[in-house]
Parts: sequence; C-alpha cells; structure tokens
Amino acid sequence: MLRSGAIGKAKRPVVRRAFGTMLAASCLVAAGIAIGQEPQTGSQPAAQQRRYQNMTPQQRAEATREFLGLGPEPDKAAATRGAPLFRRDCAFCHGPEARGATAPSLITSDLVLDDDLGEHLVPFLKKGRPEKGMPAFAAVPDDQLHDIAEYLHLQVEDVANRGTYRLLNIVVGDAARGKSWAASHCMSCHTAETFAHVAKRFRSPGQLQRGWIWPSRSGDQSLAVTAAVETPDSATIAGRVTQVSDFRITLVDGLGETHVIERRAGVEVRIHDPLAAHQAMIMTLTNEQMHDVTAWLETLR
Amino acid sequence: MRLADAIWASIATVALMGAASPGPHVSLDPKEIGKAPVSSWTTFNGDYSGERYSTLTQIRPDNVDQLTEQWVYRITGVGAQRGAPAPVIKCTPLLVEGVLYITIPDHVWALDARTGMELWHYVWRDHGGHLVGQRGVAIWKSTVFFETPDNWLIALRTNTGKELWRKNYADARMQYFSTSAPLVVKNHVIVGVGGDAMDMPGFLDSFDPRTGALQWKWWSTPRRGDPALKTWPNEAASDHGGGMTWMPGTYDPDLNLLYWPTGNTNPVFAGQGRPGANLWTESIVALDADTGKLRWYFQLSPHDTHDFDNTTAPVLFDAAVHGQPRRLLAQAARNGFFVTLDRITGIYLVMKPYVPLDYYSGLSPQGEPIPIPDKDPSVGGSINIVNATNWEAPAYNPKTGLFYVNSAEGKAIYYLTDDSARPSGYGGTIEGIGHTRRVLQAIDPLTGNAAWAHVYPNLNNAPVTVGPSILTTASNLVITGDDQRNLILYAADTGRILWHHELGANESGGVITYMLDGRQYIVFGAGDSLCSWSLAR
Repeated sequence: MLRSGAIGKAKRPVVRRAFGTMLAASCLVAAGIAIGQEPQTGSQPAAQQRRYQNMTPQQRAEATREFLGLGPEPDKAAATRGAPLFRRDCAFCHGPEARGATAPSLITSDLVLDDDLGEHLVPFLKKGRPEKGMPAFAAVPDDQLHDIAEYLHLQVEDVANRGTYRLLNIVVGDAARGKSWAASHCMSCHTAETFAHVAKRFRSPGQLQRGWIWPSRSGDQSLAVTAAVETPDSATIAGRVTQVSDFRITLVDGLGETHVIERRAGVEVRIHDPLAAHQAMIMTLTNEQMHDVTAWLETLR
Repeated sequence: MRLADAIWASIATVALMGAASPGPHVSLDPKEIGKAPVSSWTTFNGDYSGERYSTLTQIRPDNVDQLTEQWVYRITGVGAQRGAPAPVIKCTPLLVEGVLYITIPDHVWALDARTGMELWHYVWRDHGGHLVGQRGVAIWKSTVFFETPDNWLIALRTNTGKELWRKNYADARMQYFSTSAPLVVKNHVIVGVGGDAMDMPGFLDSFDPRTGALQWKWWSTPRRGDPALKTWPNEAASDHGGGMTWMPGTYDPDLNLLYWPTGNTNPVFAGQGRPGANLWTESIVALDADTGKLRWYFQLSPHDTHDFDNTTAPVLFDAAVHGQPRRLLAQAARNGFFVTLDRITGIYLVMKPYVPLDYYSGLSPQGEPIPIPDKDPSVGGSINIVNATNWEAPAYNPKTGLFYVNSAEGKAIYYLTDDSARPSGYGGTIEGIGHTRRVLQAIDPLTGNAAWAHVYPNLNNAPVTVGPSILTTASNLVITGDDQRNLILYAADTGRILWHHELGANESGGVITYMLDGRQYIVFGAGDSLCSWSLAR
C-alpha cells in the first residue's frame, strides 16, 4: 500500500543578518579543529568511496543491494540446488545462465523480477506456456521449482548487483616486456629495492596494478604533498598539506603544529607532490605497458 | 506516518490554510512557463533554453562584497534515506508568486521565499527505486508535478501540497528509477526516467497535465521495423539497450522541438554483445513536442562502453556564424567533447575535446568521435577518462558569448568483469587512478576553445558524480562553487574571483536568482540547507 500525504508543519527557519567578522573568526576556529578529519560534507563522495573500498565483498554486495533497492537477497543454497535442475530443464532454450538462447533471456523477465520467493514463478512453471512452446513442469516437485526460482534470482543478482562483481584474471601482459619498460622508465627515481617482493604487499593483482600506478599515500609520509608558504611578512611555513583551496591552505609542520593560512594577496604557495611523476605517467600510460608491468611485478614475490 | 502524526498534520494544514493565515495563492499561467526568469523561476533551467542566464543586474561585481545571507531553510526530521546517509538538496528550486518549491527523493516542500518558512511538506512512501537524487518539480497552473524514486508522477496542489492524482509510468523492479524534474511544454508534462542496472530501454513520456493521461511515448532505442535497428545486432539487444532520459531537456517554442539528452547504452561496460552504434543512446535527440516523433539525432558516443551517459543539458543559444544568424545548441558532454549543433538540422559546427583525452582516432563525416577499440574496457584493464562532467548544470551567457562548465579531468581503469558473448547489466567496473581535478571552463561555443579556465586547488579528488552547478548573469557574474564548501562568484568575461563565502556544505543543486519586492536574491541548495542571499539592506 502506498501512503503519502501533505504535512503542514510550519517550521521556523534560521534567519541571519550581516555576515560579520565574529562569525568569520569562529568559522576559522572550527575549520582548525576539523583538521585531520574529513572535511564534513565537502568531500563526502571521496569518504564514501574509501569506505566502499574497505568493505568486505559481502558488505559491498549488501550495500549495493540496499542502494539499488534490489529486494531480498537470493537464497544461495537453494540456488546451488537449483542450478543442475535449471541446466536439465531450462538451459537448452534459455541458455546456461538464463541469458537467452532460442528462448528469451530470463534476467530481464517481468515474471522473474516481480517474484520474491517463488510465489509467482512456482505456479507459472507448473503450467508452463504451451502456446509459446514452453512445457509445463507439473511433475517437478514444488521444492525443486523453488530452487529453480532462487537460481534465477541469483542470476539476476549477479547482473544487477554490481557490488558482487569480481575482476577476472587481470594478469594478461608480457612480464619480460614489463621488466624492460620499468628499467627504462622507473629507475631514475626508484631502485631494484623498491620492487623486491612487491607482489607480496598486495592482496590481489588488481590491487597491485592500482598500487604501482598510483601508490596509496596513507601510511607513507614520504608520499605526502608538501608546501612552502611565504607570507607578506617574509615568513616561510613549510609542512605537509592537509587541505588546500583557492582561499586557504592548511599545513602540519615538522613539529606537528597545524597552520591555517588564508591565501590573501601576497601569500605565495609552492606545492610539491612526490607523486607528480606518477600523475604524468597516468596521462600517457598505454594499456599494454600497464598490463606488461603488472605481469612483471606479479613475478616478484 | 503514524495515525497521531497524520491527525496532527491535517490539523496543522487546516490551521495554516484557515483564517489565521490566508496561505499562498500560486497559479502559474502556462504562457509564462519557460520565459526568461525575472521575478519567477518556472522550469528546471529557469527558461526553456537551458542557458541558466539571468538578465538581472542588481547584484554586480562592484557590490558583491555586500552579499548577505537572508535565511537558511534546513531539512530536519528526514534523516538517512536508503543508500543516502543524509539529505542533500540536488534540485533546482522553482519560484512562483513568492513560493519556492524544493525536493529531495520522496519529499517536496513549499517555502515562503520572503522568510524561508515552510508552507507545506509532502511525503511519499516509496516501494523501490534509488534515492540518489531529485532534481525538482514542474509547475502548471495550480499544479505541482513530482517524480518519485519508484516512478510515480504525482500531481499536487501548489497551495496545499494535497495530492490531485498519481500515475505510475515504470516498474521499479526492472530497476527503473526516477530523479528528474518534469518539464511542462504547452499541454504536455514531459517525464524522463533512469535506471541502468538491468538492461532496460529508456523512454520519454508525455502526460496530460490535467489528468495524467499518456499523450505519447518515445523509446530511446528503435522498435521493430525501424531502420535504426541496423545499429543493433538484433531486436532483443535494442529492446534492452538503455538510453535513459534522466535529466530534463530543453525546448525551442518556435520550432516546437524538444531537445533531450539520452544516457548510456546497456550492457554498460561490456559492449561485445551489442556491436553497432546503438542508436539513440548517448545522443541528443530532437523530438516534436506534440507527437514525440524524432526529427533528428546526433550521437555523441557511438557504441559507448564507458558509461559516458550523455545526460548533460543541451543548451540553446543564438549566434552569428560567418555573419549569418543561427539557431544553435551546445553541450559539454560527459564523454569529454564539446559539441555545437545547428538546432534546426542537427548538423554539427564544433566537436572538440574540452578535457585531455586520447580514446578516439578522428571524427566521422557526421562529426561523431571514432573510438579506438583498445580503449574499451578489458579484462586486464583499460585506462580512459573519468566522466568529464555530470548532471551539475552548466550555463551560457549571451553577453560574453561563453559557455561555462565545471569539468573533471582525471583517469580511471575500466575493467571487463563479464567477457562472455552475452553480457548483462554493467558487465564491468571502474577504478579511479591518479588525481582528478575540477576545472571551471569558459568555452567559446563557436570554436570549442576555452577563453579562460580556473583549476580549483584541492588535495582530494573532484567527485565525478556530483559537482557545483552554475548560474550566470547580465552583470558579468558566474556564480558557482568548489568542492570545499565555498560559494564563489567570478567575473564572467575573465574568470577573476570576485567574492567567496564558506558554506556549511558544497553548493549541491541548481543556483537560481530572481527579483522579489525590489530585491535580487540568489538561492541554492548546500547539503541539507536551502540558502537565500541578497545585498545587505
């Protein structure tokens, strides 16, 4: 049942007048306190993305199912029981994964998508659709028809819930070529030590590929963006950048002290990014080079 | 809503509408819809052109330092929604007769534009759909139209929020969901739809504003007998080919043509099961507003495999080309190309990348980019651009002749996760790589070259699925924001920063401006708050 209605609550808004210096000052203090945490709503998508990347596969699948409104989670045990039944009775016409063959794909079937727990599919399968050449499965017991229904729901889930997607074997490059490319492109900054046992530091080839192209800065101070800021009174403040916009830069100096500097006229900011060479590489790296280097690094265990 | 709440709500509504307060009397003359916005904002883009340009000049470069917050309306009592931890206003407010109408998924509010006081609040209980965003309402006479996540078109009274009728136009179980703002054109309510998880075809519906009766339906992919089917391997692939219509289009009343952008092709990243150009996904289509018949199309990304989802605004403007006045259309597409078309014929004048990209080998005679197959998603991964922009509104200023867009420059690895002959759904995944930066660009639509560009400094990546919208004015202002909560005003001709203010959240919906009681206001959503600014008295 859909329920809705107009709510006539009169709510009092926040009315503010001139934006005075007092308020400006308190904003700065607040910004200072917030440092080290995520800027609140400012970079919410980045924070959400990081949270998503840190989830277990199960959590990722559940979060995506909720976001997409995909309905109940398929019963995997029932689907496993249903798989051979589907192959026996249905796959010849509908294809091994129900994506269609001589008969239509069932992934996008109205009947499958409208069904939650077999309540529509089981009676339908019992009758079939003889006028279109689909036999009745009246002799198949209900519990087996339920299992076939769950198998179909799992096929839908595997397609529609992209939180369940897994990379295939991404190691497709030529390791020897990758080694030679790295020798000519990486060794002006790196040594052989950088690459020793590198594959052991990553959980999967996908993470290795991402990790060598764009190393994670978290946990590695040497990769932090730094800046030297000159103020009009000729003071220079240098340190690790924790935030920078057109209007403000926030640094943590060598003593761990935080400096919030407004970028007014006369304030000069020089930023140094240790990953600048990697950023430049990303703009021109070919797929073959990426695959080859990943294949080589995968051998360094 | 619990019974007690329901009783209280109806009492409150009655009290509000009773003797104590006369309540609003909002009725929008259909003839006024889509006119240049001055004392109202009657459509998603303000008018039908999509320019998001205001002729108002009370707020000018030499007085922007007097800008003062007038009121803030904060959404409270909604809390986390499915998949959305906190409400974010992603709508463009409409303003009619001193009443503002704003939305988030499942919710509509009417606010007094003078005070920010809530006049009414409509709540929908959805049964499915994504709650990822809501772009706003449409208004016709004394009716407000609203799209729900589970694809109901709801007609409400402008003055009370009381429901007049509802109409379901798509099945949420098929992963159709709605976020768009309807567009009213003559006696048509044009309704678009989203949803690309399940390989469904996109469509555009036209409904009667009085009754909700369907007037016409245009499918984004060809049906049986249509010659465009030759751009698909078979009818089944076309029937499941995507091309959602989830952002409002634009309209030329003289030509009676709707210009609608169509979304990505399905399956999304795995294109091996659908060889061909896959019309009319990833296109701008010109449709007869009374019949929905296709007049012309221009496909930005033939055979898309990168979710380039061509849903950004087709902005209509007129300009002289070689001394001849022309009716033109420009779009900063999500595939990284800036395109300018003749909007009578659909023939292109300009097709040029506006972000660094290397995935095409040249242009076809029709001006479409020819993709390099090696740049398609693959099992080992393929590097390509992130979406160059998204649903956040661009703007065009006829005085400067410049098109303003907040672009995103960055790369991602596109993986194929389904390499079978019959992929389905997304069939792949994408992982950002390197730094993605936001760049505000002022592009000359007659050349595709940026007259100026502003790179926003930011340690974090620019989010590619949300971003600050733009408004431009006759007083040489560009009003937008960064991804660090700053509202920023630029000189439209040079890109010089004139003023900024740090908000509680990023500017998150459309920015509008209007005159009310002799004062010019700037109103926009920032996270859960709607903010109203004007010059200090």
